[in-house]
Amino acid sequence: MILNDILGRDVMDSNGERLGEVSDVRFALDAAPAQLLSRARMVGIVVSPRTATSFLGYERQDLSQPWPVAQLLRWRHRGSFLVLWEDIAVMGPDGVRLRSEFTAYESTLPR
Amino acid sequence: MSKAKPIPAQDIKPAPRPAGLVLDAQLHLLDRQILDVDGVPVTTVDDVELSGPAPDEPIPEGAEAPHITGLLTGPVLGTRIFGGRPPSSRFIRIPWDMVAGVDTVVSLGVRANSLDASWVERWMRDQVIAKIPGGRHDPE
Amino acid sequence: MKRLLGVALGILTAIGGFVDIGDLVTNAVVGSRFGLSLAWVVVVGVVGICLFANMSGRVAAVSGRATFEVIRERMGPRAGLANLTASFLINLMTVTAEIGGIALALQLASGVSYMLWVPFALIAVWLVIWRVKFSIMENVTGLVGLSLVVFAVALFLLKPDWGSLASQALNPSIPSGEGSGVYWYYAIALFGAAMTPYEVFFFSSGAVEERWKVKDLVQSRVNVLLGFPLGGFLSLAIAACAAVVLLPAGISVTTLSQVALPVIQAGGQLALAVLILGVVAATFGAALETTLSSGYTLAQFFGWSWGKFRRPAEAARFHVAMIVVLLAGVAVLATGVDPILVTEYSVVFSAIALPLTYLPILIVANDPQYMGKHVNGRAVNIVALIYLVIILVASVAAIPLMIATGAGA
Repeated sequence: MILNDILGRDVMDSNGERLGEVSDVRFALDAAPAQLLSRARMVGIVVSPRTATSFLGYERQDLSQPWPVAQLLRWRHRGSFLVLWEDIAVMGPDGVRLRSEFTAYESTLPR
Repeated sequence: MSKAKPIPAQDIKPAPRPAGLVLDAQLHLLDRQILDVDGVPVTTVDDVELSGPAPDEPIPEGAEAPHITGLLTGPVLGTRIFGGRPPSSRFIRIPWDMVAGVDTVVSLGVRANSLDASWVERWMRDQVIAKIPGGRHDPE
Repeated sequence: MKRLLGVALGILTAIGGFVDIGDLVTNAVVGSRFGLSLAWVVVVGVVGICLFANMSGRVAAVSGRATFEVIRERMGPRAGLANLTASFLINLMTVTAEIGGIALALQLASGVSYMLWVPFALIAVWLVIWRVKFSIMENVTGLVGLSLVVFAVALFLLKPDWGSLASQALNPSIPSGEGSGVYWYYAIALFGAAMTPYEVFFFSSGAVEERWKVKDLVQSRVNVLLGFPLGGFLSLAIAACAAVVLLPAGISVTTLSQVALPVIQAGGQLALAVLILGVVAATFGAALETTLSSGYTLAQFFGWSWGKFRRPAEAARFHVAMIVVLLAGVAVLATGVDPILVTEYSVVFSAIALPLTYLPILIVANDPQYMGKHVNGRAVNIVALIYLVIILVASVAAIPLMIATGAGA
């Protein structure tokens, strides 16, 4: 599967209600080192209720300057959350469906 | 487009912290410059290839998380803008195990010349630049 | 001693390299129609270019990333491609104008028709890009371009009414006979001429070319803060000469020889010779910079290997792209279009494209992942935000004004 197959696609809960769009996919390099870098394991997807176009990731990082730009972009992405791999039931070009008992996590990147 | 059902703020929990480096693909990988081991630009990251799951198929409970198998480049610019996807054969793949580091650029552990991804550059070099006198010399 | 010489060289090159055909023509046109009542725009423009050249140079020195790489990475493919298309087309327009400028200056010197000089200019520009080292190229064209100081000398020799010039500049008012629409149209044009986007692409890519590190930032700040304002002062001298000689005579500028009139009047054939030398050097330098900018923007967007510090064989697509750009520019000139007209349009379109370039730089200059501890300070951010507003206003107002005033007729 390639990333652009799911970026921007709709995310639905198990009842078919739309929760937002896939705005990003998160990976962690926490496995044993492979050759040069460790394996990049998929952690989950970042869902944005309004729009997938992330534009600079202000909503996930601590950037607060330049001030008006940061505020504007953070406001556009309010309500974004992270869903872990374990809670994804189906994913593909037809959209992402979550399992019935999924947990929504904060989408801020760990420092 | 229907309005999204919002998740109440109190239901959003603090995220578990993975052990190593955390990367968001769109933020940190896509559209980044790829440099080879000598710092020579190779291409840009146009897409990322994962080891799974099967698209649009139900994922069995407890299935292992997919991992990144390679970085893709190729004639994707058009499809990224207008939609659709080029046939897999048109993609040029840089295997993930050639990647040495990711920060503001993606650094590889190998030389550009050894990669498929640099074929256009080599073609231009051999067909055009080498034919013009002085092309192989340092500027003075 | 060597350091001092290096510093002086940097400043002098910045002064001599500041003026290009766009500044030359626009300041002369404005001086001949509005006197010095638009001088304040030059000041605003110079402060703006200092601010953004500084920011983009800092981004390049600290992160090693040049402007268009940053634009691609931060804006994504859709917005980035739109940005590339707009910037590239405007760059192309400017390359055409500069090559035309070289040919016009040579025509002024020799009397030989400008069309015959165009292929000569093309080959000369290409040869320098192909073979000459970056720093030599910059230093030579910058130093010879200093000859344009002849405008300032001419101004003194003309013994103008300084009081009247000063009051025009300090109490700007729209001269009778010109509408306010045209006044603001030319304000935007002058602003675009001072803050041309290619400057920023070139400056940041040049920082990577010359391998600037954090310790070089002080030197670059000195070059910019001393060199650019003095270059702006040269622009004002051009406008003032036109104001003193052409405005009272009702001569509006449409050819290069009219730009030269005040200088000839002040200092005769000798001054003219110095002027031509300066114009050739300045437009040649600018032609080099804009052609390189076209190469930089394409290569940085698509991720190709680039840079004059690499052998052409190691940056093949970069060099091929520039050859194509030069040929395209010459093809446009071959249609017989007036380069002065192309110049006048290129500065206005430059003003329209400014937000596309400056917003990504402003954002990256604040991003600690790229900049570490060298992110913008509060004061810089405040000034930069004010300028962002000015740039947006100018960009949005340009097309309506162009239509309403018939491009400043």
